[in-house]
Amino acid sequence: MGREKKKGTSGSAKNYLTRSQAVRKLQISLADFRRLCIFKGIYPREPRSKKRVSKSSTPSTTFYYTKDIHYLLHEPLLNKFRDQKSLAKKISKALGRNEVSDASRLERNLKPRMRLDHIIKERYPTFVDALRDLDDALSMLFLFANLPSTAEVPAKIIAKCQRLTLEFEHYLIRTHSLRKSFLSIKGIYYQATIQGQDILWLVPYKFVQRTGADVDYRIMATFVEFYTTLLGFVNFRLYTSIGLVYPPTFDSKSEEQGAELGAFQLEPRNGEEQQQIEGAMDVETNEKAQAEADRLLSLPEEQSEQNGQGDEADGVEDAEENPSSALDTFASIDEKADTLLQPSATADSETAGKLFENFTVFLSREAPRNPLEFILKAFGCKRVGWDSSLGEPGAYCSEDDTRITHQVVDRPDIPLPSPPLTDGEVDMDVDEVDGMPPTKSNERVPGRIYVQPQWVWDSINAGQLQRPDLYAPGATLPPHLSPWVKAKRGAYDPTLSLAEQETAAEAEMEDEEDEIEEGKAGEEVEGVRGDGEARKLEEALKDEEDGGMDVNLAGSEDDESEDDEVEPNGEAAVDEAEWGGLSGDEVEDIGDSAARQAQAELEAEALGRTPAPASTSAKDKRKKEREVAQAKRKRDERERLEDIDRRKGMASRKFRKSYEKMAYSNARTDEEAEKLRAKRRKIERGVVKS
Amino acid sequence: MAQRAGQKRKVVEVPRPEEDSGVDEELDNVVLNGALSDDGESEDEFSTEDGDGDVDGDEDELDDDEIDSDEIPSSEDEDDIRGQMEKLKTNGRPKTPPEKLMGSDTGHDINTFSPETPMKPLEVEGKKRRTFTRIDVDANGEPRYIYDEIEPNYDSDDSDFLVPTNTIGDIPLTYYDEYPHIGYDINGRRIARPAKGEALDSLLDSIDIPEGWTGLTDPNTGKPMQLTGADLEILKKLTRNEAPGEGYDPYPDMVEYFTGKGMEMTMPLSAAPEPKRRFVPSMHEHKRVMKMVKAIKEGRIKPYSKPTEADREREEAEQDFASFDIWANEIPRPDHPMNIPAPKLPPPGYEESYHPPPEYLPDKQEREAWEQQDEEDRERYAKLVKEKFERCLDLYLAPRVRRSKLNIDPESLLPKLPDPNELRPFPSVCATIYKGHEGRIRSLSIESYGKYVATGGDDGTVRVWEIVSGKQLWRIRLSSSEAVNQVSWQPSRETCIIAACCGEQVHFIVPQGEICNPEQDRRSREVLDSGFGYAASNATKTAAGVDKPSSANWLRPSQTLQDKGVLLTITLRSSPKTLAWHRRGDYFSTVSPSTTSTSTAVAVHTLSKHQTQYPFRRLKGLAQTVCFHPSKPLFFVATRQSIRIYDLQQQRLEKQLQPGAQWISAISLHPLGSNLLVSSYDKRLLWHDLDLGATPYKTLRYHSKAIRSVQFHPSLPLFADASDDGTLQVFHGNVMGDSLDNATVVPLKVLRGHKVVKNLGVLDVEWHPREAWCVSAGADGVARLWT
Repeated sequence: MGREKKKGTSGSAKNYLTRSQAVRKLQISLADFRRLCIFKGIYPREPRSKKRVSKSSTPSTTFYYTKDIHYLLHEPLLNKFRDQKSLAKKISKALGRNEVSDASRLERNLKPRMRLDHIIKERYPTFVDALRDLDDALSMLFLFANLPSTAEVPAKIIAKCQRLTLEFEHYLIRTHSLRKSFLSIKGIYYQATIQGQDILWLVPYKFVQRTGADVDYRIMATFVEFYTTLLGFVNFRLYTSIGLVYPPTFDSKSEEQGAELGAFQLEPRNGEEQQQIEGAMDVETNEKAQAEADRLLSLPEEQSEQNGQGDEADGVEDAEENPSSALDTFASIDEKADTLLQPSATADSETAGKLFENFTVFLSREAPRNPLEFILKAFGCKRVGWDSSLGEPGAYCSEDDTRITHQVVDRPDIPLPSPPLTDGEVDMDVDEVDGMPPTKSNERVPGRIYVQPQWVWDSINAGQLQRPDLYAPGATLPPHLSPWVKAKRGAYDPTLSLAEQETAAEAEMEDEEDEIEEGKAGEEVEGVRGDGEARKLEEALKDEEDGGMDVNLAGSEDDESEDDEVEPNGEAAVDEAEWGGLSGDEVEDIGDSAARQAQAELEAEALGRTPAPASTSAKDKRKKEREVAQAKRKRDERERLEDIDRRKGMASRKFRKSYEKMAYSNARTDEEAEKLRAKRRKIERGVVKS
Repeated sequence: MAQRAGQKRKVVEVPRPEEDSGVDEELDNVVLNGALSDDGESEDEFSTEDGDGDVDGDEDELDDDEIDSDEIPSSEDEDDIRGQMEKLKTNGRPKTPPEKLMGSDTGHDINTFSPETPMKPLEVEGKKRRTFTRIDVDANGEPRYIYDEIEPNYDSDDSDFLVPTNTIGDIPLTYYDEYPHIGYDINGRRIARPAKGEALDSLLDSIDIPEGWTGLTDPNTGKPMQLTGADLEILKKLTRNEAPGEGYDPYPDMVEYFTGKGMEMTMPLSAAPEPKRRFVPSMHEHKRVMKMVKAIKEGRIKPYSKPTEADREREEAEQDFASFDIWANEIPRPDHPMNIPAPKLPPPGYEESYHPPPEYLPDKQEREAWEQQDEEDRERYAKLVKEKFERCLDLYLAPRVRRSKLNIDPESLLPKLPDPNELRPFPSVCATIYKGHEGRIRSLSIESYGKYVATGGDDGTVRVWEIVSGKQLWRIRLSSSEAVNQVSWQPSRETCIIAACCGEQVHFIVPQGEICNPEQDRRSREVLDSGFGYAASNATKTAAGVDKPSSANWLRPSQTLQDKGVLLTITLRSSPKTLAWHRRGDYFSTVSPSTTSTSTAVAVHTLSKHQTQYPFRRLKGLAQTVCFHPSKPLFFVATRQSIRIYDLQQQRLEKQLQPGAQWISAISLHPLGSNLLVSSYDKRLLWHDLDLGATPYKTLRYHSKAIRSVQFHPSLPLFADASDDGTLQVFHGNVMGDSLDNATVVPLKVLRGHKVVKNLGVLDVEWHPREAWCVSAGADGVARLWT
């Protein structure tokens, strides 16, 4: 017999280290360890059995993989951390001696410069790896770019974040790789596809972000430090891949004036044809543009329209000439055939680049300029103008420009008192003379399409232009839906109609409610005509239902009736027999009930009463249809359940258990969906009533 | 000096009387010297001129003295002496009290001082002549010198030389309180107690305190102790932690013996002349400098200039923005299972929209409920920064585990069963109901052509029905009291015989009427009758040979019964409950589980010979049911919990199956003979593949009550079971021809229709020989045909 094995010397106990062990091993402070972990992307592990791993009696909470820590031991950053520590000591010593200049000199000259390049290469060996992990980086940098500068967040970091993110946006504009965007309560989500990788990030709105005291900015700053380095390299790669110089020329003066995207000037590499991005064109020619616009305004409107048409026509011709590589839509002719999942319409950068290509868009003062400018440009719009209060440089045109095709407004539509017709021209002249903007707020310039900002988002998400009249100023907007939700079975889908997705039980309940309501309505109406008929009708309806049951009974118990024996618990037997799946009967039943309805009407007529009004018959018809659909659904459901029961019986215990678990959790999502459907039903009914 | 005196004293102790005197003289001088200096006339004298000269002289003399006088190593003494001298010289302590130094040498305390001592050294010296007066011979015969009375501390300055020193040692004086003396002198004489002063004297003393009065009594002498002014001064200084001697300088000026002006020493290490190279510029340095000069000329080295702010910024900007492609030559790394990338955040749903569909907005009730919640519990969206921060925490703090979340359709977990419609035909609806029995129908059997059904029930009748129409064609009451437990058509096609177990009897019935054609009728009667002949011819033989009472009686029944069609009756010892025919119809076996002896539970009968055998002498467990193998000579016997397969030809146990059921109710063998179905009263249906092993291949539990019967379809891949919960279940059970594939079992249909009467539902089920029809017998007194 060999020696007894000592605990904690082999196996999983050796594979894991607790955090304090790791810190001791690396001989750094906990804060430095944290930074190192963030930079190197080292995270704790969950051992399969904590008890087996921990060597102490007290339960440890965090375990690191031993190899990870060994890997950290060779990190060059460790030495930098140590240098920094010793420098801090020197500086504090100097300050203690009141040698301020020494301290500042030390800080200036000895401060170790940390480069994270090698870590980025390590963590992301290929560019695609980096793109895959860009979600968090972009969200974080966009957040920091929108934060106010404080003691914790120095202005330098913010400026850097802004610069990097704007550079990234420029790349997206250039390559039209933005795919989708979504206005959420948190901010604006964007999704871009670069080299086949979907990158989703969140940009906060330009509000002052509320921060609690429980946010540790040091941790976030560490992340930001890493992410800025990462995005810098990513930007370099992206820019060079499309033949641009990185970093692009940055005009800090115009940046100060609020030209965000326009502050950058992209240059091609090694003497390619000098191209300037459109945004930077009209930077300081605002006055000229004004004059031009005035001149154009004085022209007869036809001309400009002609121009516009000509432009459009050209665009169309171009489109026809170039054989498009865009995907075609496959519409199935036969409804029964299986439909294949089609790639979404915006999946192609070419189609994305053409969406707003021919438009000249003007953003009103109240519209959010940054996201709109970015999205419009990313989807091909080259001419975006905005009110000068939104930032002077970079705007393509002013509001009175006649080339404007679309104007994004986000204010309630308050009709102006219509000006006297004759004064129109005089007013114009006055405006021209004064140099005032020709349109007051809410005044509409003919020939322009006024839309609310959501139109832009819905258009790009749908991959095609939406009807602008739905998004006209003051109109009630259609709901803005997330483009990333995939329809799941059982989950609620607001895009489908209620009838398409509700379950049989719900439909039944709805019908009942309907009936009740109808009954109420009927009483109200028929109180005049006499309740008798109505009651009779209702009873007849009820009878039909019962009758249906009777028919069922008859159908299933045919054989039994031969012996003319009435069984005491016939009902139960009936139910059981009915379970046998004779649902075909039900459809017949409904047909039957229709016939009876007709019969009842005839009878009523024969009795000399007024026949049921046409409206009720229409209602009945609708009801019949509904009943048919309902019966079908019921039957399908029942068949499905029966089938599942059979299969469950043949499954092994393990699979059966997990099936039941999943079925349970699915039922919970179903519950949620049901709740939403109920709400929607209520809302719809309310709308119908009103 | 005192040290020296001590030294001398040691020397004195050495018995050398002649030289001693000389030494003493010297000593005297010295002492005199010291005494003189003690007088304190002039410090200068002592420290400078006198000191120098005297000491030098002394030293020399001493050296001589020691050289010639003793064997005692003197070097350390000399050192001591020198040290003392130096001390004297440097310190200049003229008033060092000799007695103190003395005391340190001899071990006396300072309180042995007397105030007079320093005053009269001369007299002391004068009196002290220590010479031995005579030499005696002591007890050992050695000379013993007897000295004069010597004062113990003779060269101290103690002045009370008159009073001999007390030599009582370290004993308190109080010990002598009772005696007139206070101790002894060196020669052992008593020292008388000094006279105490009169009371008046003491009073006077107390009135005018003499100088140096301390009020203390010398413990050794018993005299009042007095201190001189000098003593007091010393004590005062001692208490103040000062040097006791006067004029002592703790920080004397340094005496420069070897340094200082005019005392420099010139000690060149080497007198060699300086080499030339010390004066010639270095060639190598020159070369290096020229290199630098060249580099500067070429511009390779730039003169240092202090970095300006602009430079610094430029540098930082260079660092801030990537200036090279880090993925220029990228090498993909294979995915490692331990490397788990951070999960991405899920994309936003509809409910996160800024303008969601109205059903996602809270309605009035929800809003109210929300407002009633605690401030902290309210869910709302406000803190994006917080959320991002938590995401950061998740990224670096949260352990990552790969969890295989089954994001699949749960139905894909279940086995894919063939569509029941593809497995058609199978019975699904009740086509015919056979009504007429009073009480339960216990058993039924379908004729081999599949035209008629025979049923037997509690009312003691056997009835034959037409299978499709459900018409009762014929009936016979076998007993009025006992139930017909089992009816069974003989499998042969030529005959038309029903075997019915009623009570302890087994009746063989040829039904009358149009049920069997005349040919069949004739053949049946032939078969039933043939045995009588055989039994008659062989009866004697067997009877003679075995001499055993016949266990079963094969008899013709009464004439009335014969007229009705019952042609043969076997009477057994116990009532048989089941009856199983061999495929050919000649053999059949009955099982009577209620028998008293297990050996007679299973009986195998030969119809053609009217013979009854009990093949098992002893059977483990209670036999329940039996069946014959369709092609092999195998016999299956089911006891309550196990099934045994016997080879009838070789008469041995072939195999034993353990279905694991508590109480087997029925078994059914697949027509191919390799699979066996076992139903049990504990709600289980067990499928045994006989090729596989003793345990069941599949266990099916679908019934909520006991299963009474189970049956394979003779030709189609179907089987059905009947249960007390009033249902029949039809399964598709496909057995492959080769033994490689396992059988597939698919549940097809639950047939409901029978009513449960007194906890009994369906009692028996039997398949039509060709069609996918089955007939079930219920406890509710009806039998049903399912098509």
